[in-house]
Amino acid sequence: MFAYWQNFFRKHGAALSVFLLASVGFWIFMMILLPQAFMLDFSLRANVPPPKWGSDAHHYTAEHYRYMLYGSAQSVDSYNFVDLSVFARTIVAAIFVTLIDLALCYPVAYYLAHAATGGWRRLMVLSLIVPFWVNELLRAFAFKIMFGGNGIINNALLWLGVIDQPYDFIRNSVALYSGLSYAYILLMIFPIYNAVESLDRNQIEAARDLGSPWWRIHKRVVIPHAKPGITSGCTMVFMLTAGALAAPQILGGPSSLWFTQIIYQAFNQAGNWARGSAYAIILLVVCILFVLLMMRVFKVKLGEIAR
Amino acid sequence: MTPRFILTAERVRNGFAALFVLGFFAYLFGPLIIMGVTAFNSSAFPRMSPFECFTVEWFDVLANDAKLVEGLRNSLFIGVGVVLLAVPLGLSGALMLTQVKERVRPWYYTIVISPILVPGVVLGISTLLFWDRIGTMFGASRDSIFYDGFFLTIIGQATFISAYTMLVFISRLQRFDVSQEEAALDLGATHVQTFRKILLPFLKPAILSAAVLAFLASFENYNTTVFTIVSESTLTTFLAGKVRHGINPSISALAVIIVVITLLGAALHEVLKRREAAAEKETARIAAGELARRRRVKPFALEPAVLLIALVFVAGLGSAYFAGTIGVEECKAQVKAEKIRQAQERTRQREAKAMFQNAPAASEAAGQQIQSTDKSERAGVSQFQGIFDVGNLKDQAGADDGGDGAAQQSPLGTENFNPIFAPQNLSPPIDSSGDNRNDNRSDGDNRNDNRGGDQ
Amino acid sequence: MSADVQLDEVWIRFGDFVAARDINISIRQGEFFSFLGPSGCGKTTLLRAVSGFLQPSQGRVSIGGRDMAGIGPNKRPTALIFQNLALFPLMTVWENITFALEVRGAGRAARRKKAEELLELIALPGQGEKMVSELSGGQRQRVAIARALAAEPSVLLLDEPLSALDLKLRQHMRTELRAIQRRVGITFIYITHDQGEALTMSDHVAVMSHGVIEQVGDGNSIYNRPESAFVASFVGENNLFSGTVAATDDAYVTVDSPAGRLRARHAMRGGKAQLAAGDSAFVFVRPESLKFAAGASSASAEASSTEASSSTGALDNRIGARIHQQEFEGNFWQVFCDVDGVDKRVKLSMVNDGASMGRGPGEEVTLGFNADLAVALPQGELAAE
Repeated sequence: MFAYWQNFFRKHGAALSVFLLASVGFWIFMMILLPQAFMLDFSLRANVPPPKWGSDAHHYTAEHYRYMLYGSAQSVDSYNFVDLSVFARTIVAAIFVTLIDLALCYPVAYYLAHAATGGWRRLMVLSLIVPFWVNELLRAFAFKIMFGGNGIINNALLWLGVIDQPYDFIRNSVALYSGLSYAYILLMIFPIYNAVESLDRNQIEAARDLGSPWWRIHKRVVIPHAKPGITSGCTMVFMLTAGALAAPQILGGPSSLWFTQIIYQAFNQAGNWARGSAYAIILLVVCILFVLLMMRVFKVKLGEIAR
Repeated sequence: MTPRFILTAERVRNGFAALFVLGFFAYLFGPLIIMGVTAFNSSAFPRMSPFECFTVEWFDVLANDAKLVEGLRNSLFIGVGVVLLAVPLGLSGALMLTQVKERVRPWYYTIVISPILVPGVVLGISTLLFWDRIGTMFGASRDSIFYDGFFLTIIGQATFISAYTMLVFISRLQRFDVSQEEAALDLGATHVQTFRKILLPFLKPAILSAAVLAFLASFENYNTTVFTIVSESTLTTFLAGKVRHGINPSISALAVIIVVITLLGAALHEVLKRREAAAEKETARIAAGELARRRRVKPFALEPAVLLIALVFVAGLGSAYFAGTIGVEECKAQVKAEKIRQAQERTRQREAKAMFQNAPAASEAAGQQIQSTDKSERAGVSQFQGIFDVGNLKDQAGADDGGDGAAQQSPLGTENFNPIFAPQNLSPPIDSSGDNRNDNRSDGDNRNDNRGGDQ
Repeated sequence: MSADVQLDEVWIRFGDFVAARDINISIRQGEFFSFLGPSGCGKTTLLRAVSGFLQPSQGRVSIGGRDMAGIGPNKRPTALIFQNLALFPLMTVWENITFALEVRGAGRAARRKKAEELLELIALPGQGEKMVSELSGGQRQRVAIARALAAEPSVLLLDEPLSALDLKLRQHMRTELRAIQRRVGITFIYITHDQGEALTMSDHVAVMSHGVIEQVGDGNSIYNRPESAFVASFVGENNLFSGTVAATDDAYVTVDSPAGRLRARHAMRGGKAQLAAGDSAFVFVRPESLKFAAGASSASAEASSTEASSSTGALDNRIGARIHQQEFEGNFWQVFCDVDGVDKRVKLSMVNDGASMGRGPGEEVTLGFNADLAVALPQGELAAE
């Protein structure tokens, strides 16, 4: 080990070595690992006001995790149905949104990669980037305008005679799901596009030449090749959707909460940082499990997911 | 199956595919375009139809919003801070990746890449808690750096943005020829000189694109910022508060500005990427020992993307100019009059139905306003409106006649817009069309400081 | 002349793999010295140890009498020309050339002047403002040399710098390199797997195989007096007969082979005899040392014109063979013969003296060679084809 560092310093010179080690060390420990560790520690302690942090009152307890399951001691329900149902709804909806995005993006990515040509293709790919960089909040705002009681969609439907009353898209979560699908769709399309694009056209031609119908070409040739991209896209979309805060705050109906909103409330309205931390840990664990699951099921490496 | 049949089937399929893609892009851009249009509609509620009057007043409202300007300034400051932190960190992270031992590398990579996969809210919370604890440990005062919203936000955002920039650097470094570095060392350069004169120039395009990326990512971040910003506000937290507590077209106006900046940013990003790619090819050619010939690079201005962006700009400027030639105020007054007239109409109908004896005061007041508008000016405006909505013109004709016959003369128009002018919709424009638009409290107000409360 | 670069008992290991094994080499000042060997033999590793990019696991590298242990590449009086040249693509030609001066803090004017001088030397005057990418392969080659020379090294190291060039340019650059070396008068250490390059340019050649130096000598001794089976098979073409030593003295060895009893020179190594009776041995004969001999089983061979020219001296060895194929190359005839008990076809090269070959495939012939033109060596590893 000593020889390694000796060699490291010789290879980079003292100044660069110190800079590299210091900055990477700061990043890894002070920004990534320790904050998470502190959050875990904090979530396992009693909820006391800041001046008492570190005192005896700030003892270890699992009460916040218990609260997530069973609710407060005063509650008549045997389980904390409110939080658990929000949690379940968030996860299920995130999976649902992920599947919608996959269904939308795969054909488009394939078309862009193998049917479009030249300048058009570049233009289309570039124009994919633009909405991606428009603020998440503004994208949600655009959906709020569109789906509002007198928004363009209601107007169009009324004009077409499909409905005779404005439909409340917000209260029925349609706006939320559309907005969430929209918000992270580009994190689905780019990995798939990159993966599909790297497929040798000749393979498709060969499969076609051998008399394979188009759906079998996709099943046997294109999808297996694009698997890392699909995995990456699904993982990113799921994580971001499950962890989204802006879109649910703006597009969510009054009765439908997102799990991140509960965390937000714990911090900013209930003033219960400890419970907020515990819930954040739960969200983090779910995300880690999801990544591990994707890696296991699709047999891809982490490096292929995060790109 | 004859070959001809296969071809046809394929064509049909391709047609469907093209339609699907077209629909996809409509889905992608539709919301942005609708939002953009609402920014220029004088209607106080952001909507596209009916398009009342073309106006740029929402931009004025925006510019006069002190909270917004403050949030914007904070966002810019934080963005710069994040660039200054995340670019060196990402660069170090990428350089380190090439140096760590084979055995350690997967672990190292997992750790530094993990912030990308961790939800933003989790990062925000952990950053907030961690520095709070550190501050407590050192007994730092409440207004020290550990509790400073700017510091926390820069650190919190840089945690994952550094991973983004690192990915940019990794992909560039993968194409670096290590013998370049060795050659420089061999020629007597020190390590620092080699880094400065060989590696940095090679990484320059990547540094630029990483900086753009870092700034944009910081600028638009909400999830992490909302926890770390404490009592300050950024553009996004300001925006979130505004959007949640009632919406008005000044947000659309802001969106238009951001979209325009984004377009420019995307164009810049593209330029940098193309430069990098060109330099790449150059290096590859040198490595291949290919005979050199000056390559002609297609002028950037001829790229379809650039053309499109330029077109959008010209169209925007053109319509702004066009709108400028027509009096916005007159148009608005006219629209207002029209609304009042319709309100009167309804009132009259109600009166007729319920056989009410006393005319409401509102209709009288409205009647006076109608008289004050100049007919000849209105005629000019109606032309402009016709461009956007034929239905408006019909209404207009009715309005010009004024008085009692209006309802009979334009039944179609009234029917068309009935739902839109329904009383519950009509009220916000009338109420808030004036000066009380900027009553949108920043979210910061009520979110403000649990910390303070906890103490 | 003093030893400029000296390697004493140098070992280089990568984990369990030994890249260089007990290397002892002394290179004199002003010499053109080549390391020749197939790829993977450790020659580049050795060069990197000299230039300072890696530290030997054991042993000593000294340059100009100074031990180089712990001295980095930027502090050594060496300059390396990389296989891919490693020119800096973001700099102009003159900036590339004077990079070594730039890092020493030389002023711009001084650098410009030096650049012009060196551009003159490499016959590219006035090309300084060009980008590297605008040069041809040969020009880049020369810029790389100039860049290295600008550092004013006492030793120039070249790592197969010509391998990327096409054949014609390569041959031209050989001459040019040699000329430049004579002009500047510094030590050149040259790495190559191309024996033609090594033999034409070098004062001395070290032949390497599997991390071991097989032989060091000038081109003539490497070609004509190989000291190991590897060198004999790697440098130039050689026919090989394997057998058992029947008798040996200091000068000659007699070997019993399937082709018959063969007599060949006894190759010494470090002044020591390498063979004793009963040892397994290889006898190597160059194609140009083989002759058609009288006393062949076929009558027509005796009558041939070639026989007349070669029969003046009695041939020490005779082998019965059958012509398989003959190729006409203008100045040479190449004849491939089957010999019973020998796996590889025996090749014979004959100068085309204007007369017809007078032989055809399938013909039985007798091949002969003098013992002085053949060499007997202990059996050992052979170079891959």
